[in-house]
Amino acid sequence: MALKAFSQEWMDAWLKSIQTSQEYKEIAKEWEGSVSIIVNPDPSKGIPEPIYMWTDYWHGEAKDFHYCDKAKAESANFVMSGEYIRWKQVAKKELDSTKALMQGKLKLKGDLTYVVKHVKTVNKVVDLLAALDTVFPDD
Amino acid sequence: MNQFIENRAADEVPFSNVLEDLMTQNIEKHPDKMEVLKKMKGAVALNLQDIEAVVTLHFDGGKMTIDAGVVGKPALVIRTESGQVMDLNVLKIKWGLPYYFDKAGLKVMSHILAGRLKVQGMFFHPILLTRLTVIMSVM
Repeated sequence: MALKAFSQEWMDAWLKSIQTSQEYKEIAKEWEGSVSIIVNPDPSKGIPEPIYMWTDYWHGEAKDFHYCDKAKAESANFVMSGEYIRWKQVAKKELDSTKALMQGKLKLKGDLTYVVKHVKTVNKVVDLLAALDTVFPDD
Repeated sequence: MNQFIENRAADEVPFSNVLEDLMTQNIEKHPDKMEVLKKMKGAVALNLQDIEAVVTLHFDGGKMTIDAGVVGKPALVIRTESGQVMDLNVLKIKWGLPYYFDKAGLKVMSHILAGRLKVQGMFFHPILLTRLTVIMSVM
């Protein structure tokens, strides 16, 4: 059954898929740090308010994925933000997340050199997200 | 604008902001790269064809200026795609030179040999290319 995008169940499924991926464990063994995801509001697409999500990773383990408030989101090691439509494209693998950053379609606050060094980890996390059966608010 | 980078392409080419952030953070993290930047003189055009981003980097005595498009007659013109630029960023530097004999280095070499990474002027300006690689590498 398809999971509703940005629901806690969807985040739990994403977390579980990361936790059970041997490939992820191998690729991400040097990654340390939390990543928050900010989805900008788009009432016309069913996103009336910003969505703040907290995800946390530590040396091949994924620790905690949950909703949070703005202040908590902004305290993450890496803060990624963008329009709903861009996140949807990333989650459906219609838009490469790295390319989206370079095009300014997604913004990153945090140590960019670290992200570049560990871009395979980022790509794997996005691949696992894209593998989920997801239904989006405007589908 | 920071102390050593002037980004005049900020409004026109979103990629220039990523480049500015990456170079700033990289040089702040690795102060030895500042010494390399100080030795650089000349211009390099960077054309990322897949995201239609073209910038010219002008180097002069420890300062880098970023302009939108190809400005003047750059000594080096690099044509590639956004993913391949990321591969350049993870080249290891050994004894002050880019190291092409590990996985990351061989990947960059394969891009050059396959024509996925074209560097016009590389035979006439090898020192500028080497120094550019050094300051762009996050390793």
